[in-house]
This record gives sequence, structure tokens and C-alpha cells, in this order.
Amino acid sequence: MAWWRRRRRYDYSDFYPRSVPIEAKGGIKAQAKRGEFAESWWAKRWIEVLEGFDIGARLHRGRSYARSGQVLSIDLQAGGVTAQVQGSRPKPYSVKIKVKTMKEAERAKLMRAISQQAIFAAKLLAGEMPKDVESALTGAGMSLFPERLNDLDTQCSCPDWSNPCKHIAAVYYLLGEEFDRDPFLIFKLRGVEREHLTAGLGRAQAAAEEAQVTTAVDKSEAAGEPLDATPAAFWHGADFPTGWLGEVHIPPMAAALPRRLGAFPFWRGADRFLDAITPAYSSASLHAQRRLLGEE
Amino acid sequence: MIVLHAAQVAHELFLWAEQPVDTPAPARKRGRSARTSRANPLPFGAGTKAITGTLAGVLGENWAATRDVQRLTISIPARDGRPIASTPLVAEPPQEGSEIVMSKWTVEALRLSPTQATQLLGECLDRETLGPGVLIARDLRFWAGALRFASALVARQQFLPGLARLEDGWYARWEPVVGGVDADRLQKLAAVMPHSARALTSDPEVPPASPSAALTAFLTSVVDHIVRSGLPSAALPPLPAPRRRRIFDSTHDQWMHALHEDDGFMLGGHDEIEKLAADIRSWRLPLQMTEAAPVKLCFRLEEPPEPDGRADAEPPGRPKRTARKREDLASWFVRFLLQPAADPSLLVEASDIWKDHTARTVLLPRGDSSPREYLLAALGQAAGICPRIEACLNAAEPSGYPLDTAGASEFLTEKAAALEQSGFVVMAPAWWTGRGTKLRLAARARVAGAPLKSPSGLTLDAVVGFDWEVALGDATLSRAELEALAKLKAPLVRLRGQWVQLSADQIRAAVDLWKNGGGQMRVRDIVRMGLGAAAPVAGVEIQSAVAEGWIGELLAQLDGSAPYSEFGHPEGFEGRLRPYQLRGYSWLAFLRRWGLGACLADDMGLGKTIQVLALIQRDWRENRRAPVLLICPTSVTGNWQKEAERFTPDLPVLVHHGTERMRGAAFRKQAARHALVVSSYPLLHRDFDLFKDVAWGAIVLDEAQNIKNPETKQARCARSLQADCRIALTGTPVENNVGDLWSIMEFLNPGYLGTNSDFKRRFFLPIQVDKDPHAVERLKRLTGPFILRRLKTDKTVIADLPDKLEMKVYCPLTKEQASLYAAVVRDAEQELDGAEGIQRKGLVLATLMKLKQACNHPAQLLGDGSQIPGRSGKLARLTEMLDEMILAGDCALVFTQFAEMGAILQRYLQETFGREILFLHGATPKKQRDAMVARFQGDGEAPPVFLLSLKAGGTGLNLTRASHVFHFDRWWNPAVENQATDRAFRIGQTRNVQVHKFICQGTVEERIDEMIERKSEISARVVGTGEGWLTELSTSELKELFALRDEAVQE
Repeated sequence: MAWWRRRRRYDYSDFYPRSVPIEAKGGIKAQAKRGEFAESWWAKRWIEVLEGFDIGARLHRGRSYARSGQVLSIDLQAGGVTAQVQGSRPKPYSVKIKVKTMKEAERAKLMRAISQQAIFAAKLLAGEMPKDVESALTGAGMSLFPERLNDLDTQCSCPDWSNPCKHIAAVYYLLGEEFDRDPFLIFKLRGVEREHLTAGLGRAQAAAEEAQVTTAVDKSEAAGEPLDATPAAFWHGADFPTGWLGEVHIPPMAAALPRRLGAFPFWRGADRFLDAITPAYSSASLHAQRRLLGEE
Repeated sequence: MIVLHAAQVAHELFLWAEQPVDTPAPARKRGRSARTSRANPLPFGAGTKAITGTLAGVLGENWAATRDVQRLTISIPARDGRPIASTPLVAEPPQEGSEIVMSKWTVEALRLSPTQATQLLGECLDRETLGPGVLIARDLRFWAGALRFASALVARQQFLPGLARLEDGWYARWEPVVGGVDADRLQKLAAVMPHSARALTSDPEVPPASPSAALTAFLTSVVDHIVRSGLPSAALPPLPAPRRRRIFDSTHDQWMHALHEDDGFMLGGHDEIEKLAADIRSWRLPLQMTEAAPVKLCFRLEEPPEPDGRADAEPPGRPKRTARKREDLASWFVRFLLQPAADPSLLVEASDIWKDHTARTVLLPRGDSSPREYLLAALGQAAGICPRIEACLNAAEPSGYPLDTAGASEFLTEKAAALEQSGFVVMAPAWWTGRGTKLRLAARARVAGAPLKSPSGLTLDAVVGFDWEVALGDATLSRAELEALAKLKAPLVRLRGQWVQLSADQIRAAVDLWKNGGGQMRVRDIVRMGLGAAAPVAGVEIQSAVAEGWIGELLAQLDGSAPYSEFGHPEGFEGRLRPYQLRGYSWLAFLRRWGLGACLADDMGLGKTIQVLALIQRDWRENRRAPVLLICPTSVTGNWQKEAERFTPDLPVLVHHGTERMRGAAFRKQAARHALVVSSYPLLHRDFDLFKDVAWGAIVLDEAQNIKNPETKQARCARSLQADCRIALTGTPVENNVGDLWSIMEFLNPGYLGTNSDFKRRFFLPIQVDKDPHAVERLKRLTGPFILRRLKTDKTVIADLPDKLEMKVYCPLTKEQASLYAAVVRDAEQELDGAEGIQRKGLVLATLMKLKQACNHPAQLLGDGSQIPGRSGKLARLTEMLDEMILAGDCALVFTQFAEMGAILQRYLQETFGREILFLHGATPKKQRDAMVARFQGDGEAPPVFLLSLKAGGTGLNLTRASHVFHFDRWWNPAVENQATDRAFRIGQTRNVQVHKFICQGTVEERIDEMIERKSEISARVVGTGEGWLTELSTSELKELFALRDEAVQE
């Protein structure tokens, strides 16, 4: 890490002509078109850390970078994030944000804090960061979010001397949105995997994780069931049971399932995810109903 | 004859087929199949050419080009190494031998693309055959049902975008989501799957997939196809491969594009797509969690306790009472419970789970998960759907949460559906789910004005004044009460101990309806309301109509609570009507009186014809002489003519058929002079211009199932003819095929059942597909007044039916039959003149034989093995009658004196009905005869029709399962015929037996039948056996006897 990257007292951006970034395609676009980037309190806390730095107009530029999809990729691992951001030069800048991972002892404390109240885990599983987690951690002398300057180590390959620069800010904002969606990412960043956290929940979680890997086709090949040699069972089966089809109505709200699942992780499509798939739901639903009624 | 099968192999559906071995199949090269697999080719497995040829014939030429064929292994039950076919039509099952075991064979199978699969399966719904001789096996029908299930999932939007890795790469796919109630439905469906639906495999070492896995694999492939074929614009064309990657800015964009194009193939770096797949998995994780758990979280809404048992006395909304306060205080409760997936009857309250650590042993015998932990995780998820649940999670050990009445209403109307859709179980009170009687706010019309005493001159088009009434259940609400309810603003009100949902909108609409007051309405609309067929008015459901005087009486008569007046025998009617027939004809007259259409749907043989003739006779005598147009199948025009001659000789009958039929003004003039004009369905369309200009007194459709498809020309023509009265006759049990009902009702009472697609949504799908008993009940109430169906088994209605009913069935000849018949007669006449003695005798008998053969079928006379369909009037009639009979669940014996005719009938009927038809004749060995008789007398799947040659089957056998006996051709000796008839009519017969004797009208058959009827001169001679007496007739008598009369041909 170069020594000068640490410096942030002088803001040189005023001396340079304002650079215009090269238009990026297929970048991660912020789902929030305007207003706040984060909705949940924990994501807000994350953003607060960034906004606590006095970097002037860079915050604003970072936001519009995040909205216009200049961030080409984000890779989140334990201890840090690497990202590619399209700036004004042809080659994208690479951004690194390093975060301190929790030590073994700290992790144990965290687990204890969470296991004290099972509600914490329940809420986490529901995609909710229980507020009390933070106070429980504070009580244990720990912090979930990087609070001080020293907790964060940010780098960018751009020529801007300021750190954080607008590229870092853009990545930061997008991370906030992802945390909104999945609070486990915060723990992951701090080196605590989802599996560890939910270990207390036992098999329910594990079974779900297992189930999601096996697709329908895999299952049909794996789990067999012998055939019955009785000619009647073999050739005829039985009559269709009562109520096996269910109602055939078009649901009042289109695309309720994807709506329930919420935003797609690190969405990089040109259109907003729900906007892109909702028309398919409405028209396929109508088509299928007409097919059932024998009208198509 | 070919039997089509379908089986799911991995993620694709394959089509294969069985074919009887004796039908010529393309020669198989033996050596080749041995190399691909050790199993031998299935002896009755059909070759690809036979399959594609068949499909091309019934579905379209493009199927002929299907090339995607594989030789797959199939496991089939076998005995002593001999495989057992799906039906004896393919191969007789080996009767004896060692135990039945599974054995492996190979068959040629066609791989169906999803497009092909949906097209083929769409054609197989609710059918036994795809065409003559193309049978649909149960496994194929199963997949057709599964396709419906897939469509229902898509209609309900139970699918998500996904990504699947197949052999040749990654594909973007729309994947079914089968959770909650749908998961139960899938299990139910999987449980009825014939095992043959998963008996095919490409790898004999791998055990066959479980039913639910095979079904899931099928759903996965067709759901994707259905969604794609229903995309907003036509699916995007796949991009040329080299461009594909470059055009997209991100994997996400490519994924979206692939989801909206034809094949969904994804190009791109492996890591990139793996990453996308991982993201999709993590996005879907919350859904997976609820599905994988062995327990389910339940929410049970519990009613507040009854306030001191006084609720019963409390009518709704009495202004004096402070009802509002009371309801608001009432506390409802949503209780959390856990329900094991394995045993849904077991419910454990959350509070017990918090308390008792051993609850897990009760809940989950295998003990692989803690119910407490699941409960927490599930509650956490449910919190996202319902904020009240989230709020109560702050408590340490939540067991549920209280709700006020408004909250309870919101829970029922909004949250419950959302929770259920997410895989949770919601248990609502019975009054809500409709299991109990559901009270609703509904309007009814009260007819005002002075009721007139005498109904004469009154019609349904009379206009009467009425007022609206609003009622909750049976209780009428006063306006003050209604307004008090409106002020109450409580969405749920307790009325006589039962909760009723009242939305503010509903109450407002009801108040508005009231404010606008009643008005004037035609009696026709009042009737519609009275029968519950009226559409909601201004958002308020219409429950019924209340009227006094003649309108009230009419309503009561229609819903069956009051009798209609019964008539005696019409003057001039020959013969006696049985009491039920008198009732039937009075009923027709009653509906006719009000201009309402009637469907007389009595069982075959109960005399629908004479009930209609009685009605016409009565009108004729009372000087209502507008002609009645009767449309029937060509094969029964002669029957109508004969019956009219016999029972109503007064009535002038015009049979309008044949090339000599009248046209233009001549027809109109003649029609007006006749009481009855008999014509056929083909002419209904062809001579429509002629018919539409006549002022008909009534239009009667015989065998009205001929217009079951509302789109056909015949149905359209029938609907657009003008008449004062419409009658439909059918012996097909209308309740068995709801789909046919709409078209018939639309003919009878236009508009009464709403539009066809409305009808399909409200009744056809729920009843035909889902067997919904509520929908059946509603439809019965709506159509009941217009359908009269008596069963011959119903002894309480038809107490006076004789045990044996004999009927003559008059059939026409086809043109071909007539010309063959004429040729035989010509030859005979020439030869007869010079013949004498033995030679003459032989000539007479031979001629008689040939004439009978011509009457039976040209293929029998010619003996050339030529094609069967469409060449014989008798065969057409027999097919129609058997069809009706089989639908009604009856069984029949069919006698013929010719073994070769029996063989023709067997082949033709088997191919038409797709069922095995037994045939017993002189050459059948004794052992096989006994087996046939035992099978016919057996239960369940036993063949419904038994063909017998008169000589071989006429004596000794006991075939009491049959309630119909057909004599396809005649042996002019009553004793022999009766003996045959008695096979069915024996000790052990519990039903009436109907005997149908087929006679070709205008031919020797009819002439001899008349002679026997006139017994006087020939009875002595008839007492002998055989037909030898005929040879003693003089040549001129014989010529007279053989001559072909005009009425023989009816086309």
C-alpha cells in the first residue's frame, strides 16, 4: 500500500478538470434510483461510515457512479471486497476495501451474543439484522461495523489522491444496498460465514441448503422406486383424485413470487430485475389459463 | 390398431407404442438390437414408422418427419418370459404360469420436444382414442393430466426464472415452484401415476425414478415451455452464436434474454455462469427453506368466545344495541402451531414447544431437527409477510397474537392468502372456508303489484314491478338495519352465533341498490334470479326472487317445490303412455307453455320419442298446428317416421331427406301443412336457408349431443332457427360431460348459462377436471329445472316398466348398400323365372342371405376385406347406441347370425371405442368360451360389449351383466331370437333388459318383419325352425318381398 493513498487531507479534485467516465455497460446498477441508498438500519450504519469521511463532491459523484452502473463487478470475500470500476480511462480501476476480520475469540463472543436469544437467529434467517445484535456486541466490547478510520483500508488504482475516491464511494454505496438485501454479507465480510452463524439453528437450515443444490432432474436420477409387477398398477394406475388441479385463476398481483424473494444479488441487468421479468408473468399466466380453457 | 404410450426418461418425455403382432409391422433386423442391449425387442412393440405414420394421420403431416428415435429399455410385467400387454387388444395375457415378474425389453421410442409433447398431450385430454384404432394408454392420459397441472401452475404464477445445466451446457429456464398446497397436489397426482409412465430408461442399470421425481422432471420441462410460448411478444429468435456473447453487457442481461427467447441456451465463461447460478440459489434460499423442512408452520385464526351465550338472540345491527363496541372488544387470536408434513392431523401448539423439550419426539420421530429451531426460522420468514407476526417476535416465547375484528378480517382477506402462497398453513374457521354454510349479503327481488289469478295470456315477456330486498342468509334486513350495519363499519359481524363477512363496499352497494328502488323487469329475468342464474347487480349478488301469484307458482314449479299440471292421454294417440311418460310429456308441455327450452334426457329405451309425439299430438288436436321441425341423425329418421305412423297416425309427417326432397316455396308450403317435419343434422346445415323461413311451432333435436360442440355449423344453425319452443332429446348422461351441456342449454335457453368461456371457468374446469362437488351442486340448481332425466334402474320413478322391453330399430341403407341390394335383386329376379324344385329353393335362400349381407355391410357381402367406416346404416346406428350405452355404464350383447359380420364388428368397435370387445362364435374353443363368459360377468374393467354368433351363443350361456340385447340381423324365427335374448334375461338379472331388433327399412327385412307381426297367415309355418317357409312363396310374392323401396335410403 502506497503511503500517499492514506492521505486525504488535501482535496486535489478542484485542480483537475472534472473527468467524464467512459460509459459502462453491464455494470451493477443501484436499484434505488433516487434518495437514500439504504433502507435498513444496518445498511445505513455502513453508509454512515463512508459519509463520515469528509470527501466533498466525491460522495455525490460516487452515488451517480453507483446509479449509472460504472461498477462492473464486486467480489465480496471474508476480510475484503475487490471491485472493478469504469472511470474515465479505458482500463477499469480496481478498488479494494479491506476490513478487519474477527478473531477467533471475537467470533466466539459473537456466537454467544446471538445464541442468547434465538430470536436473533430467527430474524437473521428472515433477512433481518436484529438491532439488539449490535448492542449485544458493544456490550462484549466489539463492533460489527468499521467505526474508525483504522478499521478500514481502502485502495483505488485511479489517479485521484483522495481516499476514499468516488470509485470507492460507488462500491461502498452498492455494498450498502446488498447488505439491505442480505445482512449475512456483513458477517461474511468480517470473516463469519453464514453457516457458522446459523449452526445454532441446526438441520433446518442445512437441509434447505442441501435441497437447493439438487435440482429436480438430479433428484429423479438419484431417488429410484421400483416398479410394481401387478399388471393393473403397472398399466392403469388410478383415477385422478379430487381437487388435484386447484383453482385456475390469475393472481391479482403479478410476479408475487419474485417480489417476495426481493432484489437479485448484485444485479447488473440493463433493466431493473422485476421490470424485466414481470411482463413474462402476466402474459404467461393468461396464456396458461386460456390453454386450460381450451381457448388456445 | 396401435396403443400409444408415453414415459418420462430423465428430463424428456418419450413416446412408444404397442401393436398386435399379427398386424404387418416393418421387419426388424435382429442382429442390430442385440448389439445395443442384451434385452430382446418387445414382441408387440411398434416400429417407428408405425408410430410416426399414426401421428401424422391424426395430428398433422409434420409428425411424419419426426426422426428423433432411440431404442430404449422398458421394464414390463411378464409371466414365464412372456410380456403382458397393456390391453388384451394387443396380446392375450398368458393366463396361467408362474408368478408375474418384471422383465426387460427394448422398444423404439420417439423423443418428444416440449412443443411436440404439449401438442400431443393437449389432444389426449379426456379421450380414449385419438382416432379410429389409435388408442391412448393410461400413462399417456396421465401425462395429459400432468400437462394440465403444469398449465395451472403457470396460470397461478408458481414459477421462477432459473438456470439449469444440461449435457450440452447451461440453459436459462422458467422453473415450476411447487410448494404448500401445490406440493400436496403433486403428491396426490404422483400417487395415481401408472408405473408404465416411468418404465422406460436409457440405462437399465439405474433404478426407475420415483413417481414424484418423474412428475417433477416432466413439470420442469413443460412449465418452461408453457411460459415461453406465452411470452408477451413472440419469443425472441436465438442469436447467432458468435454474436451472442458480445451483444450483452452482463451475464444478467444474457440471462434475461435467454429467458425470453426460444431455447434459452447460455453462452459464456464457466465461472461467470457458475457465479450466476450461485446467485440464483442464494436469491431463492428463503423459499427452499420452508419447503425442505419436515414440519410446517400453521396459523390458526380462533374466534372470540361467545359473549355469555347471548349472541343467538342478537339480530345484526339493531340500532339500539351498542354492537360496535362489543365487536371491537372481541378478541380474535392467531395461534402458531407446528404440523409435521408426514402427519397433518397432528398439531402442536407453539406454547407447548417452548415449554417442552420433548415435543420433538412427538413431532418428529426421526429426531433430525429441533422443532423449536424450525419454529423460529419459519416465524422469522413469516414476519416478512405479516408485520403483526414480526411484532410478536419481540416476546421471548411467542405463541400467537390477538386481533380485533378489523384485524381478523384483514387476516382472512389478505394475510391468509399471502401466508398460504408462501408455504405456510392457514386454518380459518369453517364459515370462512366455505365448509360450513356461508352467510352472505345478497339482494333479492320481490315482485310487487297485484298478482293475477289466471295465468292464461301471461308470458315470460310480461313486465312486472318489483322492489329490492337485502338479506343476510335467510334474514331480510330493513333499511334501517342495513344503514346501521353500514355505520358499524365492522367487516365481520356475528349473526345468530355465526360470523358473517361484510365489506363496506358491499353494504354501500346494497344501500345504493335500495335507494334507487326497484323498477320493472320482465318475468324472464325474475325467473333467472329465482333460479340463481342472475349476474350481480351493481356489485351486489342476487340471491333469489320472491313472488306471489302466478309468478311465485311458476318459480316453485321450476325449482320442483310445486307440481305442474299433468295431462292425460292426448286424444287420438294410439297406444298407452306409461305414467312416467305422461309426466314427461306434461313436463314438456309445462316448459313449452312458458317458452322455455327443455332437455328430455331419459335413459335409452324409456320412450323419449313417444313423449314428444304425445306433445305434438295434443297440440294438433287443440288446433295449434304450426309445424314441428325434428332434426335427428340420418340413421334414425326412419325410426321417427315408423313411430309416428304407429302412435300418432293422425299427424301428417313429412320426411325431408334424399335427393328428391322439396326445395324453395314448395317446401315452405308443404311444411306448413304438416304436423311434423323430420330431417337430419347434415341437412340442418345444408338446407338452413329453407328451414329458416318457416314459422316453426317447435324445434326438436334428437340425439342432441350432436350439437355438443358449440362451434360446429350444426350447432350454429340449430341456435339461429326461430321457434316458439325448443326441445333437446338425449340419452347420454349429461351430468357426465359438463362440457357438452353449455351448447345444448344455449340452444334451449339462449344466454341462460352465460358465455361459453364464463361457463368453462365456473363449471367445466371445476367439475370435469377437479371434481368440485360445490360446482356440481350449483350447476344442478341452475340447469335442474330444464333437464328431466329418468333412469330405468330407478324403480321408484318407473315402477311399471316391464322386465323386458322390445324395440325395433329402423335403419337406412347407404347408397352403396342400396345399389348392391338392387343388383342382388336384379340377378335373383332373372334366375327365379326359370328355376324349379331344389334349385329354386337354394336360389331363394341364397338370395335372402345376400340381401341380409347387403343390409349388414357391403364389406360382408363382397367379402373383400375393404374398409369399414361410413358404409352401413346399421353399423352407424349400432355405434351410436353403444356409445350412449357405454357412457351410461351399461353392458350389451350383440347377436349376429354371420361369423364374418361378427369379426367385422369386433374389429371396428374395438378401434372406435378403444376397448376390448369379446366375440364368441362357432370356432371358439370351449375353454376360451368359459373364460370369455367369466370375464364378461366379472366386475370393473370387464369389456362392456359381447358379440355372439346366434348359433354359438344363442343357448346355454348366462350373461346377466348385460342389460341391452342387440339383434344386428334377423333370424326370422321368434323362438330362436327369444332364446338368444334370454342369455341376458335370466335368473340373476336385476335390471330391465332392452331388446333392440335392427331392421333395414324398405327392404326384405322390414317386409318379413311385417309378415311375422301379421302372424295370422304364416304363424303355423313359422313354428318350424329356420327360414325354409320363405321358399314356398310364389315368385311374384318373392319379388314383392325382395323389392327395394324408396324409403330405404335416407341420405
